[in-house]
Amino acid sequence: MSALRVSGLSIARAGLPVVSGVDLVAEPGAISVVLGANGAGKTTLLEGLSGIIPVTGGTIAIGGSEVQNALAGLRSRAGLAHVEQGRTVFGQLTTDENLRIGLRKGAGTDEAYGLFPELTQRRQVRGGLLSGGEQQMLVIARALLTRPKVLLIDEMSAGLAPVIVTRLMHTVRRLADEGLAVLLVEQFAALALSIGDRAYVMRRGRFVYDGDCGSLAKAPDELHRLYLGTT
Amino acid sequence: METYFTAAVAGLTAGGAYALLGVCAVFTYRLVAVVNFTGAAIGTAGTFMLISLTEAGYPTWPSVLAGIVTGTAVGVAIGFVMTRWFATAGASTKAAVTAALLVGLIAIGLRLTGGQHPHVMPELFPGSAFRLAGVQVTNASALTIGLAVLFTVASSLFLNGTRTGLHLRALSERPMAAELLGVRVRLLSLFVWGVTGAFTTFALMIIAPQRSPNFMTLSLLVVPALAAALIGLFRSFWLTLAGGIALGILEGLASTVDVVSQYRSAIPFLVILAVLLWSQREARWDEAR
Ligand SMILES: Nc1ncnc2c1ncn2[C@@H]1O[C@H](COP(=O)(O)OP(=O)(O)OP(=O)(O)O)[C@@H](O)[C@H]1O
Ligand SMILES: [Mg+2]
Repeated sequence: MSALRVSGLSIARAGLPVVSGVDLVAEPGAISVVLGANGAGKTTLLEGLSGIIPVTGGTIAIGGSEVQNALAGLRSRAGLAHVEQGRTVFGQLTTDENLRIGLRKGAGTDEAYGLFPELTQRRQVRGGLLSGGEQQMLVIARALLTRPKVLLIDEMSAGLAPVIVTRLMHTVRRLADEGLAVLLVEQFAALALSIGDRAYVMRRGRFVYDGDCGSLAKAPDELHRLYLGTT
Repeated sequence: METYFTAAVAGLTAGGAYALLGVCAVFTYRLVAVVNFTGAAIGTAGTFMLISLTEAGYPTWPSVLAGIVTGTAVGVAIGFVMTRWFATAGASTKAAVTAALLVGLIAIGLRLTGGQHPHVMPELFPGSAFRLAGVQVTNASALTIGLAVLFTVASSLFLNGTRTGLHLRALSERPMAAELLGVRVRLLSLFVWGVTGAFTTFALMIIAPQRSPNFMTLSLLVVPALAAALIGLFRSFWLTLAGGIALGILEGLASTVDVVSQYRSAIPFLVILAVLLWSQREARWDEAR
């Protein structure tokens, strides 16, 4: 069974359709990459999936049960985690407190420090005082401690140094290899395609490509065409 | 000199109540981001439950309990309206909504309690606690101030030392990010409204015998409460506490000076005006730089 199965999903913003009739799946152990130009509707898609904004049509199933009408908190408890665009750390809370908020039974903050050892030094430092890279590590680790089946990640590489981006990408790959289903929204297309399994390209709220990452990675011209919509 | 001191001490009961109401207002603002104009009205609803039960001949303390339960329930009901329909609204919209709710509560309350019809409010803690430099400090003032201090200390211990407290702090900073981590945001918000409802009810029960116990007068005690909260800039519990007590003392002192005595209920307005002007000046100063 797919960890996440979405069919015919539509989402409106301020009354205008922004996502229309999207079908997608995220499988355990695999990374599904969503690419698309600025304003294509990628963030809107993820926000609709996690329950930040309501959907106008279609279904969202986590591990087989439909959640499209449930509140965000319930979707989280059903196994969905969302690492939002823009590194939403709790700036007033320490690193350790940030990690403890969503801690589920059987999970411990040690796992987070094992995954990102650099956070250990910053345990008692407020989230707002961490560097961009540390904040990104913190929000990813924080989401993992909720023991998700599906992890949605929105533009984790924005504004970070290339070495850190590569590092984070490898971490995400490893998490998938351990059985997590990942839906990765990215602007760094080449890097995302190199670690991903399945790829979707979004243009004006619709998927214009649905296939494997490998063949898209080998055809940069095709990707360019899909982004811009010139035929 | 001695008359001034006596008057100042006499202002302590009101001051303690303002402090407690103010601290509750700061608690509500910091945790659920609402400047709550209904604070005192919620407590008034609970107080009138107590009044009508004792007027009907029920014993005092069970009626107090029923009153506190009522205040808690009204607080939760207002909280439900705010979290259900105005969770994503801006701070000024939320404040305006609670101001509108205040008008509604006063209208309903006056209707149910017979308008200006005089009521007998039992004095819960008569007598005085101790003497301060020869002046009696009433039980009521010692209790309200003590309760305000207790609320301040207990809420900081709770917020910093428990898992629910951590969730509340997360919720106050980024409600959506907290919810995405599985925090029960709506339930916790209602909890905040319920707790502040219970405490404000108790504060009003203590101060009500000193005021004319009618629904409108008591509900409007939100003005000095918000003035106290403003002195703490809606952030500091301790400054709010001190501000509330200072307001009460100031009112007490004003009552001894004939020319200003009649206008002493305007003192909170003057304080609000002064704090707002002062904070505006800061803002303008920042802009100018
Ligand atoms: N809060 C909002 N209210 C109204 N329209 C919005 C809102 N947020 C986004 N939109 C619109 O929805 C469309 C999709 O935006 P979205 O943020 O989902 O794009 P995106 O693909 O994530 O872009 P980016 O790569 O820049 O993050 C845009 O046209 C945008 O103007
Ligand atoms: Mg986006």
